[in-house]
Amino acid sequence: MIKVVLAGQPNCGKSTIFNLVSGIHQHIANYPGVTVDKKIGRFSYHGEKIEMVDLPGTYSFSSYSLEERVAKRFIYEETPDIILNIVDASNLKRNLYLTFQLLEIGIPVVVVLNMMDVATRRGIEIDPEKMQALLGCPVVRASGSKGEGGEGIMQALLETYHVKAQYVPFRMDYENLEPFIQEIHNTIVPKESALNQRWLALKVLENDETIIEKLSVTEAQRAEVEACEARFHSISGKDSAAFFALHRYEAAGLIFHQCANVNKLQGETLSDKVDHFILNRWLAFPILLLIMFLVYKLSIVGGYKLTDYTWPILAAFKNFVIESVPSPDLIYVPLFTDLAIWMVNSANALMNYIPVFFILFAMIAIMEDVGYMPRLAFILDRVFKKFGLHGQSTLPLVLGGAMVGGCAVPGVMSTKGIADERARMATILAVPYMNCLAKVPFYTLILGSFFKEEMGLMMFYISTVTLFVALIVSKLLTSTVLRTKETAPFVMELPPYHLPTFKGVVIKAAQRVWVYIKKVVSIVLAVAVVLFALLQFPGLSETSKEAFELKLIDALSRFDATAQTTAYYESVNSREKVSALLNAYDSYKAKRMLSSSSESAQKVDEVFKQKLEKGFVLLKPGKDAEAKSINTALVQLSNARKEILRSMKNEKIENSFLGMVGRSMEPLTQFAGFDWKINVAFLSSFAARESAVATLGSLYENNKADSMRAEEAMYANSGYTPLHAVAILIFMILTPPCIATMIVVKMQFNSYKWMLFAIFFPIGLGVFFSTFIFSFGTAAGWSGVEAMSYFYAFIVLSALILGLLPQRGHAWTGGFRNRA
Amino acid sequence: MYLNELKKGQKCTLVKIHASGKLRQKLLDMGFIFGADIEVVREAPLYDPMELRIHNYLISLRRTEAGMLEVEAV
Repeated sequence: MIKVVLAGQPNCGKSTIFNLVSGIHQHIANYPGVTVDKKIGRFSYHGEKIEMVDLPGTYSFSSYSLEERVAKRFIYEETPDIILNIVDASNLKRNLYLTFQLLEIGIPVVVVLNMMDVATRRGIEIDPEKMQALLGCPVVRASGSKGEGGEGIMQALLETYHVKAQYVPFRMDYENLEPFIQEIHNTIVPKESALNQRWLALKVLENDETIIEKLSVTEAQRAEVEACEARFHSISGKDSAAFFALHRYEAAGLIFHQCANVNKLQGETLSDKVDHFILNRWLAFPILLLIMFLVYKLSIVGGYKLTDYTWPILAAFKNFVIESVPSPDLIYVPLFTDLAIWMVNSANALMNYIPVFFILFAMIAIMEDVGYMPRLAFILDRVFKKFGLHGQSTLPLVLGGAMVGGCAVPGVMSTKGIADERARMATILAVPYMNCLAKVPFYTLILGSFFKEEMGLMMFYISTVTLFVALIVSKLLTSTVLRTKETAPFVMELPPYHLPTFKGVVIKAAQRVWVYIKKVVSIVLAVAVVLFALLQFPGLSETSKEAFELKLIDALSRFDATAQTTAYYESVNSREKVSALLNAYDSYKAKRMLSSSSESAQKVDEVFKQKLEKGFVLLKPGKDAEAKSINTALVQLSNARKEILRSMKNEKIENSFLGMVGRSMEPLTQFAGFDWKINVAFLSSFAARESAVATLGSLYENNKADSMRAEEAMYANSGYTPLHAVAILIFMILTPPCIATMIVVKMQFNSYKWMLFAIFFPIGLGVFFSTFIFSFGTAAGWSGVEAMSYFYAFIVLSALILGLLPQRGHAWTGGFRNRA
Repeated sequence: MYLNELKKGQKCTLVKIHASGKLRQKLLDMGFIFGADIEVVREAPLYDPMELRIHNYLISLRRTEAGMLEVEAV
């Protein structure tokens, strides 16, 4: 198998080349211990098996950002056969800087001149043959976005692989530095190393931590290197790092001048022209808002509409599961059936978001590929910097729901690109404060119950306060627990705009959705099992079981009384027969609900006709008067059964372990105005926020058959005042959205410690604020709106004060001109 | 003079980097080497960071970091 590693600068079109040659047989692997992805593609070409690894884009191999560490570790641990270096032909000189560093590693390099079309358009002519001769390695032309050059690349790879044995390692002459390189080579680099020893010596002299660790250089040897460095400095007046950079840039310049011809006068490029608008002082913000609005509209709103089409698929899946598990015997639902339905419901609640996510991820991919992301960071960096965040934090916050109704999962996932470690961690911890889509039904329930008049104002408070909370929290965290974390300078390229390829966008979006499905859904399901057990056990007491049985018998005898008078009595004269008919009726109802057209409804009829034969007439009586009366009784029985099941469920929840926990928390949470029902709703909704509404809804139903809406029922039966409602709202605003978010937080931090922090810090904050507002509000006699207004004013003021506080000059101290 | 003192449209060459450690290495890798030509393309809408052209590509730098680059105006 030929091991090929793909390396290149960011924005050089590496991924398009990867997609071009590898097809889509690829998977993403997280490098152990690091949150940077590397993509692996396995395929064969002319009978040779090839494994291609796409490393993260790097500008250099000498500074040690996260991406570079991953890339370097891969090269010395896996020792690939060939390095495929993708070079942006329209920016040759700059890209050659990395090429020289790759050549020095000592592994054969194949250079791919990508984006030849762009280069030609700009009047840049490149002579690959000359370059090939000068660099001593194959140089191939390609245009990834147009799908050109794949064959050439693969051929060059194979040819290079077959003559690999004859490869003479590339060597760059560093003139005055040479004696020192030799010295390090002789004293520090182990003789048995599989990697190019000269490269290792260079790396040691460059003070490359990754390699120094790898070679286990001792303290004494480090001192030796420093002495070398000092002597070089006294001879040449330069330090080795600057010397290396200068030398490599000079070499790149040399190659550029010998191999490239610029015919056209470099006027304004299209990118420059676009930037006049996108980065214009007055237009930048309106355009940014417009783009954000579009992303939000298309993904959240449009994606949600799409779920109208995908939901029937999920519902059909649910029906399929329900039919495959043992059916209930009247009010006695087998535990396994209960569990299966619960699991399907939990999974469906999350799978329902897939269209939203797919569109969202596709939009992000487009913005990334076009080159808007760094511009976004450029525009907003100043604002976010004040709060310890980074310009690149904008997108995660917007996706998380800066404009009511996002989702924290893609928000947290999109923090991956933030270069500044401290700002990245702060962003991950800030995103969950944004208003997620699934919290909105809960807000509407509470607002509909207690703030019918002031709904607009309250909704404004809710949707805007979160951004301020997030800013405050990140400011607090970055100046306390995250203070010691590494920060990175804001040195960011603004790449030329590129049209994204359709294939590239779809692949990127699909991969991210797949990661979501795999990691999130699997873990959420595990949590769902635990929640199920906590809600199910210990179950009903014997006495209440008997009471429910009596109710059932009552309903059954009413049905029996009607049935007896008809000719169909024979088919419903036993409890088993009634139970079977009832289940058939419910399943028939569910199927008919799902069929949208009259043909599909007819099909459902056909199926049931075949299955039930004589019984079908009881489900759909038509003009048969006797069957009709049984049918009416059946509907009543079905309703009675649902009612009993609902009461059983409520009682079960009340007596369950989770219910007990909710009750045991009452002494504490009562200061925030929460009773056990709210506690249980919050606890159970942690798997998915949607279930908070469902839980509350079923808890507040008064067990009488009436047509009260959930809002009315809550208002009438809970005994809450609007002040209670405000406390509940504040708690909901501050607590993290769901377990899925916490899983991605864990993925991004790669640490359970931080995940627990991300769970308990906001909950602590929520408990504090709702307790404070409720207790104070009760004492001072505030109305609900007053309490919320004070809370809002307090948060906004705090954010403003924090933002206006003078900050430390910069994140950097030391150096020759220390201004810290 | 220092790079952060330059206005939009001004050009200069780099004389010295007054930064150390990782920032210095990062700047070197991005092409901030002795004698490199730098042009201030524009400032961000909120005046910080600034956008520069160096080696025929665009890069953005916060003012605090630009203040560590000693330059000579052209």
